Amino acid sequence: MAEGKAILYDASRCSACKGCQVACKCWNLLPSPMEKNTQAWNGSMQCPPDLDHRTRLIITFDEADNGKKYGINWAFGRRACMHCTDAACVMACPSGCLYHDEETGMVSFDRDKCIGCKYCVSACPFDVPRHIGGNGLFDAGAKINKCTGCIDRIKNGRSPACVTTCQPGALQFGDWEEMLAVAKERVEVLKAKGFESAQVYGEEQVGGTHVLHVLKYPLEQYELPENPQVSPLIGAMNWMKPILGVGAIALVGGLGLSFLTGVGYKRPEMRYDEANHDIINVETGEVVRHIDKEAGER
Amino acid sequence: MAKRYIQRHSLQTRITHGLVMGSCVWLMISGLFVFVPYFANIGSGGLVQFMRISHRVVGVILIAAPIISAIMAPKGFKEFLGKYFKKWTPEDFEFMKKFVPYMLGPKRVHMPDQDEVKSGQRIADGMLIIGGIMMAVSGVVLWLGLSVFHAPAGVITVMRFVHDLFFLVLVVFVVAHAYLGAGVFQPYRKTKQLMFGNGQVAESDALYHWGFWAREELEKGDNVVER
Repeated sequence: MAEGKAILYDASRCSACKGCQVACKCWNLLPSPMEKNTQAWNGSMQCPPDLDHRTRLIITFDEADNGKKYGINWAFGRRACMHCTDAACVMACPSGCLYHDEETGMVSFDRDKCIGCKYCVSACPFDVPRHIGGNGLFDAGAKINKCTGCIDRIKNGRSPACVTTCQPGALQFGDWEEMLAVAKERVEVLKAKGFESAQVYGEEQVGGTHVLHVLKYPLEQYELPENPQVSPLIGAMNWMKPILGVGAIALVGGLGLSFLTGVGYKRPEMRYDEANHDIINVETGEVVRHIDKEAGER
Repeated sequence: MAKRYIQRHSLQTRITHGLVMGSCVWLMISGLFVFVPYFANIGSGGLVQFMRISHRVVGVILIAAPIISAIMAPKGFKEFLGKYFKKWTPEDFEFMKKFVPYMLGPKRVHMPDQDEVKSGQRIADGMLIIGGIMMAVSGVVLWLGLSVFHAPAGVITVMRFVHDLFFLVLVVFVVAHAYLGAGVFQPYRKTKQLMFGNGQVAESDALYHWGFWAREELEKGDNVVER
């Protein structure tokens, strides 16, 4: 079970005003492109369509038939770093750039330490990390960008930027257990109102996430994986480093022993008499071996 | 009396080997800057970023050099394959059986005659080639899948595993290859001449290392040089 702090997103209270998206961009100095028609219309209110190198948070939109004559199930969701307790990105990061903030449990990063390897991208079961700069063929200078949980604000007694701006109160911030209790209570209310699929998301997933969701509609309407997992290969790869170290020492030791047994090795100079098929010691002139071609020797 | 030498490797082979060796060494060094956390933290990030980008540029050399070389000399490439994919003789099996005792006691253990490529050499070089191909394929997927394309996370993770695993395999075989090929192992002294010199092996050394091949070459005389 997770500890520390949590952001609670209640999808049933969200009005999809995207104020949280704007607040995130303002606080983290991540302006949207200002050129006219930069964002192509894709038929959805979801804009930009996914997280990108300068967008750490988006509100997702999904429409589903409600089985009634009028109306639809219009689901608003939140897509950003989930701040997992078992964070695959932290496990995969070779430079220590990505880390758990001990006090809050949020997964943050030290941009100076980012080497742009993008291993975090391949590790994250939520497909969250993006990189600023260097996205071309040689992607020199790529540096990670993702939600930090606003730990800079939290440590100064404030809530994350997205939470403070949320008008309908869909976003709340507090101790993890307290937020979980609020989420569970809200799910019971939603179920009583007839939203049978209502559920808490984030309590069990990847060790408990520090972003908890109250989902009003079925999970398929939100851009959240059903069963996010940390690939076992990430753990295996972390074992390879000590294995390589031990293997290298054993190899150098073995070859060192081999070298010592060969010190002082000498062999007499030989030549081959191809006419008689004899191998002859050059110094003594002695035939040390005859190749019997007739017997099939080579 | 003039000494006889056998021309074992052509200039093109030696240049290709040199390019592959140089790029391999650089790729191992630059790869460590991503693989090992200690190296990943050296400097303020600029050095590691340089290493990471150089890893890609040099990776292109590692992949391109043997391919271009094979295209330039298709007959030689075919012969090269023939030397590696061939039926094992009883001497080949005996060589492998005696390999470890020989490495730890070359003065008392004597190896049987061998063809142009020893059986152990076929295994070791084969592992280098397989490892190189696996590193090239996984490296290209990692490179393109994380830069110009956004490859699925599962594919990238598997490719990372393949890249790490074959790095481990290659470290073992590259170090062993260098130990023997550069003649650090005393019975193999002067073998570095074959790739870093004129590509010729002295008659006596050829008879010791590759008896079957040496006698065949000396009988034919086409590649024999006297001086």
